[in-house]
Amino acid sequence: MKNKPKVAFFSLTSDEGCQFTLLDLGERFFNLLKKVELIDFSLIEETPFPQGVQIDISFIEGNPIAKNEVSLLKKIREESKLLVVVGNCAAMGGIPKIKNYQGKEKTIRYIYKEIKNIPNPEVKRVKDFVKVDFTIPGCPINGEEFLKCAEDLIAGKIPEVCQSPVCSECPKRGTKDCFLARKKICFGLIARSGCNAVCTRGELQCFGCRGLIKGAKVKNLLELLKRFEGEKEVEAKLEIFGLKDDVKEHL
Amino acid sequence: MTKIIIPHIHKIEGEAGFWAEVTKTGEIEHLKIETLKGLRQIEGILVGRRVQEVPLIVSRICGICPVVHILNACRALEKALDIEVSKDITLLRKLFLASQIIQSHTLHLFFLSLPDFFDIENDLELMRRFKKETKAALKIRDFSLEVTDIIGGRKVHPVTPKIGGFLRLPEAEDFKKVLKDYSEIMDSAQFLAKTFENLSYPEFYRETNFACLNPEKEYTFLQSSSIIINNKKETVENFYSKEIEEDLKNPPVKRVKYHGQTYMLGAIARIKNNSQFLNPTAKKLFDDFKKKNKLSDNKFFGNIYHNLFCQAVEVLHFLEESQKLMQEIVERGIKEEKTEIQIREGEGISAMEAPRGTLLDHLAIDKNGRISSCDIITPTAQFLANIEEDLKILLPTILNLSEIEKRRKIRALIRIYDPCISCAIH
Repeated sequence: MKNKPKVAFFSLTSDEGCQFTLLDLGERFFNLLKKVELIDFSLIEETPFPQGVQIDISFIEGNPIAKNEVSLLKKIREESKLLVVVGNCAAMGGIPKIKNYQGKEKTIRYIYKEIKNIPNPEVKRVKDFVKVDFTIPGCPINGEEFLKCAEDLIAGKIPEVCQSPVCSECPKRGTKDCFLARKKICFGLIARSGCNAVCTRGELQCFGCRGLIKGAKVKNLLELLKRFEGEKEVEAKLEIFGLKDDVKEHL
Repeated sequence: MTKIIIPHIHKIEGEAGFWAEVTKTGEIEHLKIETLKGLRQIEGILVGRRVQEVPLIVSRICGICPVVHILNACRALEKALDIEVSKDITLLRKLFLASQIIQSHTLHLFFLSLPDFFDIENDLELMRRFKKETKAALKIRDFSLEVTDIIGGRKVHPVTPKIGGFLRLPEAEDFKKVLKDYSEIMDSAQFLAKTFENLSYPEFYRETNFACLNPEKEYTFLQSSSIIINNKKETVENFYSKEIEEDLKNPPVKRVKYHGQTYMLGAIARIKNNSQFLNPTAKKLFDDFKKKNKLSDNKFFGNIYHNLFCQAVEVLHFLEESQKLMQEIVERGIKEEKTEIQIREGEGISAMEAPRGTLLDHLAIDKNGRISSCDIITPTAQFLANIEEDLKILLPTILNLSEIEKRRKIRALIRIYDPCISCAIH
């Protein structure tokens, strides 16, 4: 056991969809676990955190929303050599971040009249709280990509980040079925691939859950999309996975 | 006064804690389950969004049961917009939901609850000790996830479902390939079921209320106009608006009660109300178990630990159901029907059986096609208070045990329910 890297998976407030993506890999995920010493993964073991050991790689999904989660996140950072965020929530804020755009006080009042004791912080990315060493993007993450990245990380390498757009993996590219050819909002041209264009293959447009590629021609695409469906609609679609903030930073 | 506190309970979806105070004479002063995740406000987030975006957003309530969240929200919207869904789509939706229930149950049965029966705290140890069972559990999950993938385009957070049907329909041919594996998977499922048939379930008895969709002519799980609770039938609308009440006093979780009483949902409730409609292999497992253990219905359903066994029965039932559905789909083929959404003001309430029990969605649309109000009541929010009542029965019987043992027993009972905290505080 001595030489195996110590690995942990943590889930902050989220739907845990990324953890389930890992479990859904079945045997292949459990084979990966044979190569490491598992320190924490709350879906399959009971030991409380922290255990007072230095963790080699911590994977984190979700957002710090509940009251102790910011301090938990900082503690994880302290105990980990590498901190890797997984999934759209941790990396970009995710669907819960839509409330920031609505005005979070308004959002919560749709649900509760009495809101005194409910933590309702602005939803932020993990990197707004602690240093992040690597990001595995997506909502949810792509299990195959995770396995590849994890193998690299376990071997002590930082994996390469894919910088080609979703269009490069999309079978509709250059055909009449392309959403752009149908004058519909699709962010495939500026969004990071590595998902095998799973959404567009399923006839759903790309809303950029994996973030922007380097050097993306954001302005050009957004101008085009505004002509298709109007500025308001483009803004609304940029909100879904929190791409709106990345676009703002990019422009 | 002694305090019993379990700050973090693992091996459930999301995270919860347990907290109780017991007097010297063994009386329980306070007892509660605390949910430890933050509120994501999905219901509020949906307000103002276009109806077409609902499937995508609502699926993110839960990573283990996104399918039912999508399907039930779609159905509530279809009711609001008066959209009729074709037979082909209904068949696909049934298969889609069945696949979700199988994979969720199998995960819970094997990876989350079984270890408690052997005092195993880490699943990797469970897998070392139960190699054949592990293989069987993973095979069943692979099979059902493959079906989810074929229909939904992805295993977690499917991309294809939409109001009225699917953005992209699967090929009937794809199911032919899956059907080839069926008998082998059924063997694995029967092998795994044996494990749960032979488990020694703790003695326990408490009467409670059992709610699920009302079975009409079959083991109802996708849709029904009424809900049955204690042999009483209520329309879904009545059940939602008059029979149950959400307690907003302890946010972020809303605890739900039925006329001030707690109630149970999920596998044990469905089998209580539907056992005559179980498919043959599942029915045999259920009947044999009761006979072998000389259990009356009253005794069987009074023991909450049997929820686990009921999940094992349902895995068989829904596998058999999936086979029938796939055969029918392959024979009929899948016809594409264009459903145009005619936007108008309206509202709809729908109920559907999630793995953990009846999910209720109430959605309203404004004249511009945007969500104007949204209320989603998950199974876990409904049975959380029922767990607390059961814990009040358990606690006095374990006070003399060591601290470690006490905690083990408490965690094991909570996990029998298969609570999903992510769903409960969405």
